[in-house]
Amino acid sequence: MTGVARRAVSRQLSKLMFGLCILFAAIIVTLLTLITGYLLILGVKHLSVSFFIREPIAQGNPGFPGGMANGLQGTTVLIALASAVGIPLGMLTGIYLAEYDAGSVFVGTIRFIADVLAGVPSIVVGILCYELLVAPFHRNNAWSAALALAFIMVPIIARTTEEMLRLVPNSYREASMGLGATKAHTIFKIVLPAARASIVTGVMLSIARISGETAPLLFTSLGNDSITWNLNDRFPSLTKQIYDYSTQRATPQEQGLAWAGILVLISLIFVLNLGVRYFTRQRK
Amino acid sequence: MFQFLRAAAVILAAGAGMAMGDVSLKGEGATFPKPLYDVWVSKFHEANPDVTIDYQGSGSGGGIKAITNKTVDFAGSDVKMSKREAAEAGDVVYIPACAGAVVAAYNLPGFSGELKLSGPVLADIYLGNITNWNDGKIAALNPGASLPNQAITPVYRSDGSGTNAVFSTYLSTQSDEFSAKVGAGKSVQWPVGQGAQANNGVTTVVKDVSGAIGYIELNYALANDVTMATLENKAGKFVKPSLDSVTAAAAAATEIPANIMNRGGDNAYPIASFTYILVHKDLSYLGDKAKVDALVKFLTWAQTEGQKLAPDHAYPALPDAVTRRAMANIHSLTFNGSPAQQ
Amino acid sequence: MSDVSISNLGQTPSPAPPGLTRRKSRWLNWDRVMRGLARGSGVVIVLMLASLVIVLVVAAAPSMKRFGFGFLTTASWQPNERQVPRLDAHGKAVRDEDGEIVMDTIPPSFGALPMIYGTVVSSVLALVLAAPLSLGAALFLVRIAPRVIVGPISFLIEFLAAIPSLAYGIWGLFVLAPFLRNHVEPAAFHALGGVWGFGWLFYDHEGRRHLLTGLDMLCGGLILGIMIIPIITAISRDILASVPRAQLEGTVALGATWWQSALEMMEFGRSGLFGAIILGLARAAGETMAVTMVIGNNPRIALSVFARAQTMSSLLASKFQEAEDLDRSALLEIALILLVMSLLFNVTARWLVVGKDSHGAAAH
Repeated sequence: MTGVARRAVSRQLSKLMFGLCILFAAIIVTLLTLITGYLLILGVKHLSVSFFIREPIAQGNPGFPGGMANGLQGTTVLIALASAVGIPLGMLTGIYLAEYDAGSVFVGTIRFIADVLAGVPSIVVGILCYELLVAPFHRNNAWSAALALAFIMVPIIARTTEEMLRLVPNSYREASMGLGATKAHTIFKIVLPAARASIVTGVMLSIARISGETAPLLFTSLGNDSITWNLNDRFPSLTKQIYDYSTQRATPQEQGLAWAGILVLISLIFVLNLGVRYFTRQRK
Repeated sequence: MFQFLRAAAVILAAGAGMAMGDVSLKGEGATFPKPLYDVWVSKFHEANPDVTIDYQGSGSGGGIKAITNKTVDFAGSDVKMSKREAAEAGDVVYIPACAGAVVAAYNLPGFSGELKLSGPVLADIYLGNITNWNDGKIAALNPGASLPNQAITPVYRSDGSGTNAVFSTYLSTQSDEFSAKVGAGKSVQWPVGQGAQANNGVTTVVKDVSGAIGYIELNYALANDVTMATLENKAGKFVKPSLDSVTAAAAAATEIPANIMNRGGDNAYPIASFTYILVHKDLSYLGDKAKVDALVKFLTWAQTEGQKLAPDHAYPALPDAVTRRAMANIHSLTFNGSPAQQ
Repeated sequence: MSDVSISNLGQTPSPAPPGLTRRKSRWLNWDRVMRGLARGSGVVIVLMLASLVIVLVVAAAPSMKRFGFGFLTTASWQPNERQVPRLDAHGKAVRDEDGEIVMDTIPPSFGALPMIYGTVVSSVLALVLAAPLSLGAALFLVRIAPRVIVGPISFLIEFLAAIPSLAYGIWGLFVLAPFLRNHVEPAAFHALGGVWGFGWLFYDHEGRRHLLTGLDMLCGGLILGIMIIPIITAISRDILASVPRAQLEGTVALGATWWQSALEMMEFGRSGLFGAIILGLARAAGETMAVTMVIGNNPRIALSVFARAQTMSSLLASKFQEAEDLDRSALLEIALILLVMSLLFNVTARWLVVGKDSHGAAAH
C-alpha cells in the first residue's frame, strides 16, 4: 500500500475509533442510567411513610405488609458497631503507614496486605466471622456481622487515610517538630486536622460500601423480622430484608417493600457519594 | 474515641437486658410453617398478654441444631431427625403442628383443564427422560387431552430445605432410577433443570417460563394462585392437592413421628408430610416454672384453637387421631421430675 | 529514629513558646503510646489476613483430608447418600440369601471443578463485555470530552460503582433474564440452531436441548460485566490522565492521528491498564449476590452459555446456611479456593497498577 493510501486508512480508522469511544461512553451512561432509573421508579411507586416506621407484618394481619423499620434500625446499629472498631483501627493504620517507620519492610508489608485485604470477597469475610463468632456459640448474632463489616471497612479507611495524610506538606510536620512538639502531638493537632475533610470522605465511602453489603450478613446476623436490640441473637438489616422480600416472598405488596428498600438504600449511597464529592472539590 | 466506647457500652447494656415480669419463649426452625406460627403467636399473645413468643425461620436443620444445643425453647422441623442427630439431641418429643404438602405447579399455556401426573412420570421428568409435554407417558395419564408440543423445564430448589427432602424422598420411592441416580436429602444434585432459591424463587420461575414445572409447598401455591397438577396416589386415584386431601393423608398416621407419604386411602394426596414442634421431654432446660407453664399452654392451645385457625391460612389441620397423639405427647413432658402439664 | 526530621538533627529542642505544646505527662509518654498503638494496628492488619487463611484452612481440613487434590478436578456436588443396587458382571442386580437386592451406599461426594469453571467463565465473559467499553469510555473522558462534562460523568460512574450488588441482582432477575428468555435466546436459536458448528451452543453432551430460561451463564456474565465497568473505567481514566503531556505532544507533533496518539497513551500506561482489567476480573470473581440471583444455580459444566451454571460464591450463598459437617467443610474448602484466587488476582493487579513505586496512584 502506498504511503498516501496508508495514511488515508489511518485517518479513517482514527475517525472510527474516535466515534467508537464516544459510543461506548454513551452506552455505559445509558445502560447504567436505565438500570438505576428502573430501580428508582419502581421504588418510588412503593415508598410510603409506613416503610420507615413500621415493622414487617405477616399476611392476614391488619397493616400488612408493614414496613422495613427493622431493617433500617438494624443496619444503623450494625454500621455504628462496625465503625466503632473499623474507624479507629483503620485510621490508626493509615496514620502508621503515613507517619511511622517510613521505608521499612514492615510498613511496606502492611501496606501490601491492606491493599490485598480490600479485595477479599465479602462472602468469604462473612464466612470467617461465622466460624469465629457464630459457630462456637451455635447462635447467630449481631457481633459477628459487625465484625465482618468492620473487617471490610478497615483496609478502605487505612489506605484513604494514608493517601490523604501524605498529601499534607512535610513543612507542616517539620515546623511543628521544630517548635518542640512530639510526634503524636504533631499528628493529632497539626497533620490530621489538615487532612480532616479528605479523611472524612474515606470514612463516608466505607460506610456507603458496607451499608450495601448483603453477603457477609447472610450467615452471621441472618436477619430478623422485628426491631430488636438484643445483639446476641439474629439481627435485622436492610439489605437482608430486601433480599428476603425480593426472593422469598410472593405477594406484590411484600415485593413492593423490597423495591422501596432498594430505593432507600441507593439514595443513602447517593447522598454519601455527593458528600464525598463536595468535600474533595473543596480540597481543590 | 471515648464517645464510641460509651455508646458501645450503652448498646451492650440494652442488648443484655430483657423485659422483666413477662414470659418470653424462643423458637426456631422450619420456614414452611412460619406464616402459621406467626398467626398462632399473635393470637396466643392476645389471649395471654404476658407471654411473648418469637419464632425465627432458619430451616429444619437449624432448628434441630438449636434444640440439640438448647439455645432455643422449642424448635420446628419438617423432617425427622437422623439417627445421629437423635443420638446427639437426647430425648426429644415430636409434637405435630400441622400437615403440609408439596405440589407440582406448572405453566402450560395452551392446555386447560386438570393435568394428571404420577410419581414415576414426575421422576422421569426430573431425570430428564421425559423432555416434552406431549410425551406418550404423560398422554397416557391424560387420555383425550391434547397436550401441546412444548419443552419441559423442570425447576428445583437450589438451596437446602425440607421441601427438597420431602420431594426427593417421594421421587426416590417412585422410581428406582431416581433413587440410584439422585437419591433423597435436603440437598441433592439434580440432573437437569433450572435452580431457584426458596419457594418464591421456584414460583417466580414457573410463572415466567412457559412449559415449566416446579415443586412448592401447598400453602404457597394456594396463596399465589398457581396451577397445580393432580397426582396419582397409592390407591390409584388421581387426587387434587387441597387442604382436605392432605388432612385425609394425615389420617394414615399410626405413630409420631409419622410417614404419611403415599400411604393414605382413596382421597389422600400422596406427597404429604407433617411438620413438628420439637421439645426435650424434660423441660428443665427452660429454667423456671412460668416458662414451662407458658410453653405447655401454647402447645395445648395449638392443638385446639390453633387447629381451628390453620385452614383459614391455607394450612391443613390435623385429624383428630393425630391431635390425640399430640396431646398424649404433651402430657408426657416433665419438669423437675413431675409432669409439666397440670 | 524516624521521629527526628531533617530540620532538627543535632539540635536540642528549643524551648516551646507558651500555649503551643502540651505539658508532658509524668506517667504516660503519649508519644510512645501513640507509636505503640500505630504499630499495633499494623500488627492487627497482619492478624486479619492470617486469621482468614488459618480459620478457613482449619475448617476446610476435614474436606481436604477426605478428597485431597481430587477436589479440584471432580465435577459433582452430591451432599446426600445414594443407595444403588449392586450389579454383577452381567449388569444384573445382585441378590442376597433372602432374595433382597443388595444395595451399595454411595457416600456424598464434592468437587470444586464446576464452580471453578463457572467463576472463571463468567468472569471472562464479564471482561469481554466490560474491557472494551470501559477503555473506550476512559479514553473518551481523558481525550475527547469537554471539561464541563468530565466532572458529572465521572461522578456518575463512581456513584454507579457504589450501587450494591443486590440492586443489580434484582434488575437482572426481573429485567435482563426475561429479556434474554423471551427475545434474545429464541432469536439466537432460530438463527443458529440448525447451523453446523453451533450445536454445542444449544445441545448438551447427551444431545438434550438446553432449556432457554434466561437464567444462565450468559445472564450471569452480562450482569457481572455491567457491574465491573465502573471500576475499570475509573482506574483506567486515572491511569490515562497521568500520562505526561510531553508524551502526547510528541506524537501529535509527528503527525499521528487521534487514534495513533491514543494508542501511544495506552501503551505508556499499559501495565496500569492491565492492572485495572485484572482488578475488574477480581471483583467479578468475588461477586456474590447478583450472580446468585441470575446464574441458574446448577453445579455442572457445560460448554454453552445458555446452560445453567454455578460460581464459587453463588454456591456458598445458596448452600452454606443448611449445610452440615462434611458438606460444610467442603463449602469451606470452596471458600478457601475463592480466597486464594482473589488474593492472586489482587496481588497481580496491585503489582501492575502500583508498580515498584510503593505509594503511587492507589487502586481503589
